[in-house]
Amino acid sequence: MARPNLYYEERSPAPLEMVWLEFRSKPLAMAALYILLLISLLVLIGPLLTPYEPNQQFIDAISLPPAWSTAGDIRFLLGTDELGRDMVTRLIYGARYSFGLPLLVVMSAALIGIGLGAAAAMTVGVKSSTLKHLLDVLMSIPSLLLALIIIAILGPGLFNAMLAIGLVLIPQFLHVTRNAVHDEQKRAYVTASRLNGVSQLYLLFTVIFPNIIKVLVVQFTIGLSIAILDIAALGFLRLGAQAPTPEWGSMLAQSLEVAYVSPWVMALPGLALFLTLVSVNLVGETLRVAIQRQLER
Amino acid sequence: MTRYLFRQIGLLLVTLWLLTLLTYGLGHWFPGEFITNSSGIFPDDIRYEDIVEQRAGDAGILSQYIAYLQHLFSGQWGVSLLDGEPVFEQLQLRFGATLEVALLAFLLALIPGIPLGVLAALYFRKPVDHTILTISLSGYSIPVFWFAQIAILVIAVHWGMVPISGQINPLYDIPPRTGSILLDIMLAQPSYLAAALHNALLHMVLPVSILAVMPMMLIIRLTRNAMLDVLQQNYITAGYAKGLSTARVIWSHAIPNAMQQLLRQLGALISLLITNTMIVEVIFSWPGLGSWLVRSIYERDYPVIQGGLLVIAALILIVSIILNLFHAWRYPQVRKDLYGTP
Repeated sequence: MARPNLYYEERSPAPLEMVWLEFRSKPLAMAALYILLLISLLVLIGPLLTPYEPNQQFIDAISLPPAWSTAGDIRFLLGTDELGRDMVTRLIYGARYSFGLPLLVVMSAALIGIGLGAAAAMTVGVKSSTLKHLLDVLMSIPSLLLALIIIAILGPGLFNAMLAIGLVLIPQFLHVTRNAVHDEQKRAYVTASRLNGVSQLYLLFTVIFPNIIKVLVVQFTIGLSIAILDIAALGFLRLGAQAPTPEWGSMLAQSLEVAYVSPWVMALPGLALFLTLVSVNLVGETLRVAIQRQLER
Repeated sequence: MTRYLFRQIGLLLVTLWLLTLLTYGLGHWFPGEFITNSSGIFPDDIRYEDIVEQRAGDAGILSQYIAYLQHLFSGQWGVSLLDGEPVFEQLQLRFGATLEVALLAFLLALIPGIPLGVLAALYFRKPVDHTILTISLSGYSIPVFWFAQIAILVIAVHWGMVPISGQINPLYDIPPRTGSILLDIMLAQPSYLAAALHNALLHMVLPVSILAVMPMMLIIRLTRNAMLDVLQQNYITAGYAKGLSTARVIWSHAIPNAMQQLLRQLGALISLLITNTMIVEVIFSWPGLGSWLVRSIYERDYPVIQGGLLVIAALILIVSIILNLFHAWRYPQVRKDLYGTP
């Protein structure tokens, strides 16, 4: 926002703005951000762009290689799979399941986890370090194993996989929020606001929250990376999304039988997954470094 | 240290107890009957009446739980619903197989991981650092199940350098004892020892190296961050001021202190390793815990699910507690934080 500089005062940017300035100076991270925006666009308007339906079969075009090879067909830019389904269409629809759904899951887990974590930190509750250590130890169990436990009870399926990942992510958000709020509460500026007599809600939302949002953003990208990988892994193990769903992980699982004859059926969903994960991790790591540098300043 | 030791052991016991509560609860939460779910004996079996009595099927929850614990400690973990194999004996075999690949992959990750991380930190924000960091970040993002498939397709099928799956060629008659194939061959001492070892090693190359990639990338980043942190400390400047050579400062002051931070974060690495081990075992048909657990979930083999979960979760908990203890024992300066409130 352009702001006329009438007075010779130095306007220091807000904490989040400073992180953004730092972030923008990294070309690789910006590229990753653009990729993520593109994928989000595909998630939103994908069906408008695709020429076919994800499960539409073309009997005359079974296991066609991508269009640039001699046996390819320009109707199917990235080829077709063993049932004659267009790969481009399936990949674009797959973005909904492999990026859109994890995003939704992480958002709801973040909402619940941050709410509970903030409530736990603001109210004087059990603050024994034993409980904290207990949580630490329990959280050392990997998320995929916890998701497997939940799926073992509920049964396989895409919805159950999402539910499981969401339930696994909530404690992580809770833990991070609680620790961050706890650390901020010892700072002088919080004490100053408290001496001014502000209410607890004001203290949380207006005083503490703007200062911990950076930590939460980083945790969000970590959670997103975990959710994408775990939902795809569950799909691959045939415990998540089931057969005709164009989810990237389950597409990989289905491609195993034809991997030698038509390797592109296996390579493409994995490549899409890899690009998405690299972008998420790159954005997360750059944000983390930017925040750390800002703290050191 | 004694206080810390007791505290950690107490913590371990509490979490293990919670874990047995969970696996006991699973028997009730799974669809079907509790006795069948936890013992693997169907109601039309002639042994069913005895089993109900032994496991206190008609009694209250508390005596049921106590009976469950008694069975757990005496090694009667029920039989598989599918093939009637005793779960506990199968677990012992598969545990060895899992531990073998996981440990080897961990070592393989550690050996190049730490030097590369140190190298990146020494050339902070130079081309070397950027290259190592980019490789490690993108390597960390490769989905392991896709990477394994590509590797099988290229290295095993296309080039034919190594076998596709399994532990050893079934032509070699190696009686399974520990589950770890290398140990089993050494124990059996067949006349074709060298050939068998060679075959087993060939089978192991692909799973172990694929499993090692992701932890290695994580180790590189953790080591780099730890080294950067340490290099800014005053004692490093003091070392240079005393006139020590760069090599001396790095070797005897920077690296040992960086290892301290690395060790604290190894817990995250262990969980990553175990997750990937489960997936890699499924792909390579490695007869380990992970592939067994995943198979039992879609075959709804409840006694196996219970046993497998208990063992994997307990393994992770025990390893992370041991890491904590080792950390506190080796580096006394961190004990103060670990005590929590003074």
